[in-house]
Amino acid sequence: MMNTWDVIVVGGGHAGIEAALAATRLGCRVVLISAKTSRIGEMSCNPAIGGIAKGTIVREIDALDGSMARSADATTLHFRMLNRRKGPAVWGPRVQSDAAEYARAQQLYIKSSGIEIIEDEVTALDGVTDRVTGVKCRKSGSIRGKTVVLAAGTFLGGRLFRGEELWKGGRIGDLSAEALEKDLTERMFHVERFKTGTPARIVRSTVNTAELEVQRSELTKFTFSFGKYKPNDKEEVCYLTYTDKNTMNIAKDFLHLSPLMAGRIDGTGPRYCPSFEDKVVKFPDRQRHKIYVEPMGYGSRDFYLNGLSTSLPREAQLKMVRSLPGFEKAEISDYGYAVEYSYFHFSEIDETLRLRRTENVFAAGQICGTSGYEEAAGLGLIAGANAGRLAKSLEPLIMSRMDSYIGVMIDDIVSKGADEPYRMFSSRAENRLYLRQDNADRRLYRSADRFGILSEQKRELLTGNLKEADTIWNVLEGETVDGTRLSKWCRRPGVSVEDVVTRSRNLVNRDERVLASVILDEKYRGYIERNLRRHESRRDLEKISLRRISSYMEIDEICWEAREVLERERPETLARAERIPGIRPTDLNGLLIYLGRQRST
Amino acid sequence: MNTKSPEIICAVATPEGTSALSVIRVSGSGSFELLENIMSLEKNRLAGMRRKVGKIIEEGRIVDEVVAVSWPEGRSFTGEEMVEIICHGIPHSVREIMEILIRNGARRAEPGEFARRAFGNGRLNAVQIIALAALWDTDRGWKAFDSVTEECCRKLLSGIESTRETVEGIIEFGETHLDGNDKRVSSVFGDLMERAQDFIREAASIEKSSRVMIMGPVNSGKSTLFNLLTGKGRALVSGEPGTTRDGSTCFMEVSGRKMQLCDTAGTDGLGLDRSASEAVIDGLDGTERVIWMSVGGKTPPGDEIKEKAGEIIEIAAKSDLITEKETEGVLCVSSVSGEGLEELKLILSRIPGSMSLAGAAGRIFESIKESCSFISNGEYDLAAEHLSEAEIEARRIIGKGENIRLSVERALSGMCVGK
Repeated sequence: MMNTWDVIVVGGGHAGIEAALAATRLGCRVVLISAKTSRIGEMSCNPAIGGIAKGTIVREIDALDGSMARSADATTLHFRMLNRRKGPAVWGPRVQSDAAEYARAQQLYIKSSGIEIIEDEVTALDGVTDRVTGVKCRKSGSIRGKTVVLAAGTFLGGRLFRGEELWKGGRIGDLSAEALEKDLTERMFHVERFKTGTPARIVRSTVNTAELEVQRSELTKFTFSFGKYKPNDKEEVCYLTYTDKNTMNIAKDFLHLSPLMAGRIDGTGPRYCPSFEDKVVKFPDRQRHKIYVEPMGYGSRDFYLNGLSTSLPREAQLKMVRSLPGFEKAEISDYGYAVEYSYFHFSEIDETLRLRRTENVFAAGQICGTSGYEEAAGLGLIAGANAGRLAKSLEPLIMSRMDSYIGVMIDDIVSKGADEPYRMFSSRAENRLYLRQDNADRRLYRSADRFGILSEQKRELLTGNLKEADTIWNVLEGETVDGTRLSKWCRRPGVSVEDVVTRSRNLVNRDERVLASVILDEKYRGYIERNLRRHESRRDLEKISLRRISSYMEIDEICWEAREVLERERPETLARAERIPGIRPTDLNGLLIYLGRQRST
Repeated sequence: MNTKSPEIICAVATPEGTSALSVIRVSGSGSFELLENIMSLEKNRLAGMRRKVGKIIEEGRIVDEVVAVSWPEGRSFTGEEMVEIICHGIPHSVREIMEILIRNGARRAEPGEFARRAFGNGRLNAVQIIALAALWDTDRGWKAFDSVTEECCRKLLSGIESTRETVEGIIEFGETHLDGNDKRVSSVFGDLMERAQDFIREAASIEKSSRVMIMGPVNSGKSTLFNLLTGKGRALVSGEPGTTRDGSTCFMEVSGRKMQLCDTAGTDGLGLDRSASEAVIDGLDGTERVIWMSVGGKTPPGDEIKEKAGEIIEIAAKSDLITEKETEGVLCVSSVSGEGLEELKLILSRIPGSMSLAGAAGRIFESIKESCSFISNGEYDLAAEHLSEAEIEARRIIGKGENIRLSVERALSGMCVGK
C-alpha cells in the first residue's frame, strides 16, 4: 500500500459527503470509506431538508459550494417558507424531499467528483495518535492518508433499542462501528453517549388519507441553491393528524417496557426531537400532539410519521399508530427505534474541527455532538476543507460566528459543548439579523474564497451576485425619496421590499432575489453594525492576557467570590474571564486596575 | 495590555432635562470625521484643537446648531481623538443628536468607559486609579443604595428574559408546533411594560435621595470644595477654622448625575461645631457617600464614620500648599490649582441613584415598547432584537454583564416540539 491519499473520509452520511467534496474542490485526492456504499447519502430519519436556521445552513452550504442544497433542489416534493409572517431575518426554507432520489443525487455528486469509494469497515486509526498515518480497515487493511476526517455519525459505537430488543448497529439494517469506537477509547479520547430515535414508517396504501388534514406545498417554489436551477416539478402533499387520549394511554401502558424509562439507555436525547414517550412523561396532561404525515418519496410506498418517534415495543407501536384518525387499518413497514451512540466531548475538538490531540484527524457530524442533517453537512464541509488545506500545507481556517450559522455552531460546540444533541436555532446567533437565508451567498463569499473551495463555475455565479448587489446598492445610495436617501429610507419601520422597489425605476429590472436581499441588508444595517461593534469590543478583551497573574486571592480589587472562581478557572484572557459565570463587569474592571498597577510598578 | 478600541463611543455629559446647553462627548479614532460628516464640515476642519460652530443636519433638516470642540489623540481626557458637542439642552434634540451619532457609527458609552479608556491609554495615573475603583464599585453601590430598586430591576430583568423566551419560542416553533401562542404574546408584553414603568418610578424616586456629605476636620477646605463643585458662593468660606456650622445643602449635577451635596461642620470642632458635626454623623444611615477631606490626606476618618457611611472618598486637600502628602489610595485635590477636581467629579458621577438610572430605565421602557410594536407588525426578528437591547441595559444596571446569549435549552424546554 504505497498509495497515500490526501484526505480519508470515514463515513458517507451528510457530513462525510460534504467533507469529501470540499477536499476534492481544494484539489485533494480523496477516498471515502463506507461500510455500505449503496446507502451513501441516505436520509436515515425524516425525508426533509431545512427549517428555521437549518434552512439557512443549507444556503450557507451552497454558498460554500457544497452539494446538499442542489441535491435537495433536484428532489423537492413539497415547499414551505417557514415564518413568512415573522420577519425576513427568521424565514426558514424547508422542503420535503424524495429520500431515495436525494441519496441517488448525492451519490452521483460523489462519483462524478472523482472521489474513490471503498466499501469497508474502518476499525481503527493507524499510527500514533499525535499524527496518524491513515486508517485500518477490516478487509482492505491499512489505508494511508495525510489527513483523516471521521464522520461516523450514529454508527460510532451504535446500539439500537426497541422495547426489550437490543442490538448493535448504527441504523436499522446496518452494522455499528464497534471496533473504531473501541480504538478511539483505547487512545484515551473522551467520548460520551447521546441517543436519538426515529418513528415508524407506515404503508401508505393502508392509510385513509381522506380523514387527514391536507398540507399543500406553497405555490411559490424556491431553490436552496443560489444558482438558477429549476425547482423539481414533481409534487406531493403532506398530511396532518393528531394524537388523542387513546394514543397517550397506550404509550403509558407500555412505558415500563421503554428502554429509555427502564434505564437501559444512558445517553441524553435531543430535547427538540423527543420521543413520544418523553412527551407522555413531560406533558402528561396534554393528549393532543401534532403528527405530520410525510411521504418518503414521490409515489413512495411509505409514510413518515413526524411527531411519533418511539422505541416502545412493536405491539405498542402498532396500537399507537392505529389510534390515529385515518390510521385504523394502518400497517407498519419499519418499526421505530432508538439509537445510542458515542460522540467526542467538546474539549477534544478545536475550532477548525481538528481533534486537539492529533495533528491530522478531524471530526464532523453527529460525533461532534450535533443532531440534524444540515448541522452535520455544515460541519462536514468545514472539516473536509480544513483537512484538505492541511494536506496541502495551508493554514486552517475558522468560521466567525458573526458571519454564519456554521460559525455559530462550531463556536458553540467547541467552546461549551452541549448536554444534549445540539440543534441549530436562530436564537443562538447574536447577529441573527445578518445571518439570513437570503444573503448567504454574499456574506460567505470571502470565507469561501479564502478557503479555496469554490469551483470556477460557482465563483462566477457568486461574483455575479456580488456585482448585481453592488449595482443595486449604488441605486439605493444615489437616489432619494422626499430628500431621504433610499438606503436610509429602507430602515424606516414598516417599509417593505416592495415599497422600496416602487420608488426607483432603476430597480425594476434587477435580479429580484438579490434586490430583496440588499434592501434587507440596509433595513437592518444599524442593528447589524451595533452587533458587530459589540463583538469587536469583546475581542479587545481577548487581547488582554491574564497569564502573568500568579494568584487571584491577593487581588483586592475584585470580590472574594470572583477571586475563588478565577483561581479555580484560571482564564487565559480577560474575554475568557468575562464568560465565566459569576464574574461581573466590576470584577473585570478590578482586574484591569490590578494589571495597570502591576504595569506601573 | 491593549485597551484601545476601534469603536467610537458617545455619551451625554450633562444631566437630562431642559437646560440652556448640553454637552455630548464623543471619543475614539474617527470622531473628527464623524462630526465633520454630520455637521457637513469640510474635511479636516476639526483636526487639532479646534472649535467649530455648525449645524447638525439630517436629511435636509436642521436638528440643532452646535459648537464642536476637538482634542487630538494624545491630548484629550481619554487619550483618544475626542470631540465635545455643545448643543442646546432640549431633551428631544439632545436625544436626536445621540441617535444621529449612533446611526453614523458611534455607540453609547458604557458606564465608566471614558475613564477606562483614559486609563488604558495612560491618561490616568496610579492615584487617579481610584476613579476607576469607584467605577468597579458601582454595583456594590447599587446594593448599598437601595435594595428595593435593585429588586425592582431584577423583576424587570426576569420579565424581559421570559418575554424573550416566549418570542424566541414562537420564532423557532410557532409555525410547526405551537398553537395559539401568538395571541398570548400581547398579554406578556402588557405585564412587562408595567414592570418597566414600576422601575421608571423607582428610579425617579431614588434619584431624589442621593446624598453626598463633605466631611473632615475643621479648616480642611470643605466649603471651598462645596462652592467649587456646586458653582455657587453659598457656603461661607474663610481661613478661620470652624466657619461652617450649619450644613449647607445644594442639588448639583455632575456628568449627567443629579445629587444632593451637603457641606458640614468640621468633625474635630468645639462647642456648637462639635454638636453640629455629631448630629451629622448620627444622621448617617449607611447609604450616604462621604467625601472625607483632610489637609494633605493626613487625618483618616474616624471609625464611627467608617461604620455609618455608605462609601468614603478620601481626599488630600490643599495639595498645592502641602508638599508632604499621604497619597496611598487618596485623591489629591487643590481648590486653588484645580488639581484632582476632574477626577473627583468622575467619582461622583459614578454614584448611583442619579439621572443615569432614570435614563436607563427610560431606555428599557422604550426598547420594550418598540419591541411590542414590532410584534404587532409581524416583525418578530426586530422585536427580539429590541428585547435583547432592553436586557443588556437591565443587566448593566444589576452588574450582570452583557452576555445575553439566550439559553435556548432553558427557553424552549417548556415546549412540546419535535418529531
